[in-house]
Amino acid sequence: MWQTIIIQPMTNLLLWIYDILGHGPHMFGLAIILFTILIKLITWPLNASQVKGAQAMQELQNDKEWQDIQKKYAKDKEKLAQEQMRIYKDRGINPFASCLPTLVQFPIIIGLYQSITRALSATPLDMLQLARTIYPFQNVENIIPLNSKFLWMNLGQPESIQVLGFALPTLAIIVALTTWIQTKLTMPTSSNPNDQSAQMSKMMSIYMPFLLGWFALNFASGISVYFIVSNVLGVVQYAATGRANWSNLFGSKSAPATNKKK
Amino acid sequence: MNTKRLTLFILLALGALFLSACSGQPLVNTWPGLATDGERAYVSSGSFIYAVDVQTGREVWRYPAEADSKQLFFATPVLTEDGQLLIGSEGSNHAFVSLDAETGKENWSAPFTGAKGKWVAPPLVFGDTIYAPNTDGFLYILNMNGREIADPVELGGALWSAPVTDGTLIYITSLDHQVHILNLTTLTFVDSIDLGGAAPGSPTVGAGGVFVGSFASAIEFITPNGGHEVIAQTDHWVWGAPVLDGETLYFADLGYADVGGKVYSLDLATNRQNWDNVRPDGPIVASPLIVDEQIYIVTENGAFLALDRDGRIVWEKTPGGKIYTAPVLSGEFLLVAPYQAEFALAAYDLDGKQAWTFTPQK
Repeated sequence: MWQTIIIQPMTNLLLWIYDILGHGPHMFGLAIILFTILIKLITWPLNASQVKGAQAMQELQNDKEWQDIQKKYAKDKEKLAQEQMRIYKDRGINPFASCLPTLVQFPIIIGLYQSITRALSATPLDMLQLARTIYPFQNVENIIPLNSKFLWMNLGQPESIQVLGFALPTLAIIVALTTWIQTKLTMPTSSNPNDQSAQMSKMMSIYMPFLLGWFALNFASGISVYFIVSNVLGVVQYAATGRANWSNLFGSKSAPATNKKK
Repeated sequence: MNTKRLTLFILLALGALFLSACSGQPLVNTWPGLATDGERAYVSSGSFIYAVDVQTGREVWRYPAEADSKQLFFATPVLTEDGQLLIGSEGSNHAFVSLDAETGKENWSAPFTGAKGKWVAPPLVFGDTIYAPNTDGFLYILNMNGREIADPVELGGALWSAPVTDGTLIYITSLDHQVHILNLTTLTFVDSIDLGGAAPGSPTVGAGGVFVGSFASAIEFITPNGGHEVIAQTDHWVWGAPVLDGETLYFADLGYADVGGKVYSLDLATNRQNWDNVRPDGPIVASPLIVDEQIYIVTENGAFLALDRDGRIVWEKTPGGKIYTAPVLSGEFLLVAPYQAEFALAAYDLDGKQAWTFTPQK
């Protein structure tokens, strides 16, 4: 089922884009970039709802009722949680909405990793599985095997650049950095130390860059290309909607951009 | 639940999910290689190469004694006249080793580690020279002591199949759709022919040239001066090398998972197919094996079958697992090395009766 729903369509789409691009050197990297843009477009409504959810969470922090229950039940965490859930329910807010796009990304990342590995076919078994994966109407014998070169990278291998005798994992660093920027920009600002969703977002902004950076360090660099493009597009999407929280990026305590706009 | 713990739990769960999906491939990441000298079978399967007594099915030796995560063996081992067993590692150490076929001990002072890629293809040994193709696209030229005696020849594309020679020229296929023809002595290029599709299998020498199949769903005949023509179209990609038996060329295509591969028997004298629609159960990767009047075929669905010269099934067995490795004849037994089966090797007599199976001890 995973094969049919995720791997097969993804691999065929990648091959199709690669074929259209002329299947020369660097084209598989471009195919991954175009694929990422396509995924971003498909998940645009989801991301938009996340932006909306984050916005609602931010506004909630300034709500009088919300602030009142924080004070009232400061020493009764269980009651506070119950009251918070009631307010979430009353106002139709999903406190975990900001995590959803990240969660949705994971099946895509896993599928993409497996599709890239399969498409680049480093072993005879990979090649055989690729043959099984290709839709009968795809005419791809002239493009197989794929050219794994993209810029200075082999997309099927983890990336590093030799600098003064050291293997510098530039892509992993860029992945961690762009993930951190994106998480920071989308993180709701809260002055309330007990706000769980803000705490969760804060923890995410710490752990996610390390996690994705570690993936980039150890897995095929094609995945890193996906991470970077996805992060940059995420930032662009936020910035385009005027909700990017630039103050978070520079550690300023000033109010978020959205509030200023209002 | 504490927010920090919850966040950490979610991230760890996602990380574990990702890791299990990405690195969940078994250590044995492709099918085994199989060779025989008539008394012993040599099976390369993952971390080890096993020498197995053909009469008893018992392990004689294994190499290395302890598994090494940097070494993986899947290429078909090659036996030389002076008793060496040559094989390259598909692991990260890129080592090409020579073993004493009798004892399994290393022959050379150190393995050859000059290649940048993995060793998928078996080497060609001609005279005192080893011609070893690598996935880095180079053909390495070694003497029988494992020393490079000439600069490697850059062919381009990953090299997955053994080169062949007619005594004057070397023919070698590449995944970059080419068949390269080299002068055996000077190693200079004679010609390169574009097949229109990747060629993971070896060419077959015969009829004053070579026959080669490819993912272009065709069999081409190539002459020493680079002349070439398509002599047969197939329904799907051709993976294994064709087999020439007298005036007849046998080959098979991969086929689709639902309809299976197709076996072909081409009369070269008339350029006509001897039979029409022989489709065993399952896709076919391996080359056929011809013994006397029977053609032995193995399939991905685990079928091992004997056909007569008219394409009729004489017998069919299902040893277990998937079978991608070409069967070999060793003495009175047919040997089959399945992938993902309970055993690594099985021996059958020519009537299809199983004699023994070999399962490596852990």
